[in-house]
Amino acid sequence: MTAWNESVGGKRALAILRSRPFLTVVIVAAVWIGASFASRGFGAYGHLRYLVELGAVIGLVAAGQTFVVIAGGIDLSVAAIVTVSAISLPLLSWPADPTGLASILAVLALTTVIGAINGLGVALLRVHPMIMTLAMATFLQGLLIIIAGGSAVTAENPLVHWLGNARPAGIPAGIVLWVIVSAIVLTVMHATPFGARIFAMGANPLAASLSGVPVASTTLAVYGISGFTSGLAGVLVLGMNGQGYVGIGDPYLLASIAAVVLGGTSILGGLGTYAGTIPGAVLLVTITALITVVNASPGWRSILFGSLILGLLLLSGREQARR
Amino acid sequence: MSTVSPAKSAGALYWPVQMRRNIGVRSLFIVVLAFLVAYGVLFPGLFSASGFAKFTQSWFPLALVAMAQAILMLTGGISLAIGATVSLGAVIAATTMAGPLGVAGGAAAVALTGLGIGTATGFIVVRLRLPAIVVTLAGSFIIGGAALLVLPRPGGAIPAWLSDLLAGNTPAAFVLLVAIVLLWKLYLATPLGLSLYAAGENPVGAYRSGVPVDAARVAAYAISGLLSTGAGLFVAAQTGSGDPVIGTAFTLNSIAAAVLGGIGFLGGQGTMRGALAGSLLLSLMISVMFFLGFTPVAQYVAQGLIIIGAVAIPQFRKVQQ
Repeated sequence: MTAWNESVGGKRALAILRSRPFLTVVIVAAVWIGASFASRGFGAYGHLRYLVELGAVIGLVAAGQTFVVIAGGIDLSVAAIVTVSAISLPLLSWPADPTGLASILAVLALTTVIGAINGLGVALLRVHPMIMTLAMATFLQGLLIIIAGGSAVTAENPLVHWLGNARPAGIPAGIVLWVIVSAIVLTVMHATPFGARIFAMGANPLAASLSGVPVASTTLAVYGISGFTSGLAGVLVLGMNGQGYVGIGDPYLLASIAAVVLGGTSILGGLGTYAGTIPGAVLLVTITALITVVNASPGWRSILFGSLILGLLLLSGREQARR
Repeated sequence: MSTVSPAKSAGALYWPVQMRRNIGVRSLFIVVLAFLVAYGVLFPGLFSASGFAKFTQSWFPLALVAMAQAILMLTGGISLAIGATVSLGAVIAATTMAGPLGVAGGAAAVALTGLGIGTATGFIVVRLRLPAIVVTLAGSFIIGGAALLVLPRPGGAIPAWLSDLLAGNTPAAFVLLVAIVLLWKLYLATPLGLSLYAAGENPVGAYRSGVPVDAARVAAYAISGLLSTGAGLFVAAQTGSGDPVIGTAFTLNSIAAAVLGGIGFLGGQGTMRGALAGSLLLSLMISVMFFLGFTPVAQYVAQGLIIIGAVAIPQFRKVQQ
């Protein structure tokens, strides 16, 4: 026992077993197994695949949110940015662009700029992230109603349609996109100097700044990333939905923050990983699916959703006393 | 202490301390005053009895939620459920007051709900050590869902005499606000109130000095819940009915008013008078936009811009100095 514990491999295995991301995976597995016994068809491959596909949208939004939260901030404008992306994409289409790639790139550039403006306000104007991003969300909401009004806009973009509906090799394109983004995010977060700077900034911004971390430009980049991944999520949700409307992004604000926190990332910053956010996102989708099965009124559904998230937080999201 | 009479020494200390606490918000007071003068010049109706009543009525709910948010931020907490709690207060008022419970019973139900929600939230945040942002965000779904259960669509009723009293041509809102501010002063003199700043500024140090940190924080959440549902009751009286989503905008506005008023996010920094001035400034801006004929949507856009600007400019000047 002691010999096994002291070996390097044993220590690493124990660390993984004790880590928050692993705990979240265990919870997801437990919920899936429990639910497939309780309700026939829940555990079918097609249904689980569908859940992960829905989880991809949350996972994308939460990718940027993870960066922001680890850097010690919070982005409350992600829902509005998802909506901006899903509404402006159908409006931005050119005849000279048959594949639709150019308009997707234009939309992603737009949402990245929106995110970067958040970063600008936080880094240079020193507005608290919560105020900056909430005000940005209010601002965008007003703007969206002016632009789109109350009506839904239909996407004619072939690439978006492919992204939302195609199944290369039996795997939905959205999941493929999520896997690619996850790989990039995990690499950037844990294997680049930029990633190390984000953790340093979140743990202690003053110390990071004194140690030569370019806090302003890193903050700008972090919020820019959040704008980008929210924009990407908007593109995916538009593809899966076919239509964009004001309010399409609303569920993703709480979902992204909950996925981050359920995955073991500290809301205070400086501690966490996207590897926990991924099962966190799947867990949230699973909860939502279970609530839909119950078939309750909107009020009860909202209460159930909030209570389940609170309950899960008690299991895995507690702040440890730090420092 | 033995040579000077305690009353005299306390009095000699009180005013200098109060003046020192004004330093941070002095420029804010000047801005608010300038806005008030400009508003009075633009809309001379402000100085009639009914104009003053209407003006304080439009400010009152915002002042309450700003206080509700400020008391949490002073202890180092925050609530993203203020809007949902206001809605719940409004629908409970609109469904109970015209029924068998009557106005007194309805008001009691509203107050108990607010205290209950606040205490539960405070207990979860403080005792179970969960981050306040996430708890209150999840809480906003639970509370918002409860509001939908109480009243699925706008409706219900508030007795007409109560609407007339609170939102008619009487300065009842102003009197209530003065009373609440006096109660706040009184609360600050109690042991829990005294602990409030200490618990926010340096919880560990306060705990080691024997300050009841946990109790002070839970009490802050309870008071915050009470103020929020109270704001809901007032909003219901203003509109004469209940609406399960009427409070949504108050979440952002409460944080914005508190931050405009110089309350810090880290706890222990700021004063309630600052938060009240911040809410007055925000309310003035909203009224001016309304009178200038902005559509509600354009108000959203302008409000987002103004909040960022108002929070950013003082910070920006501080950085440059």
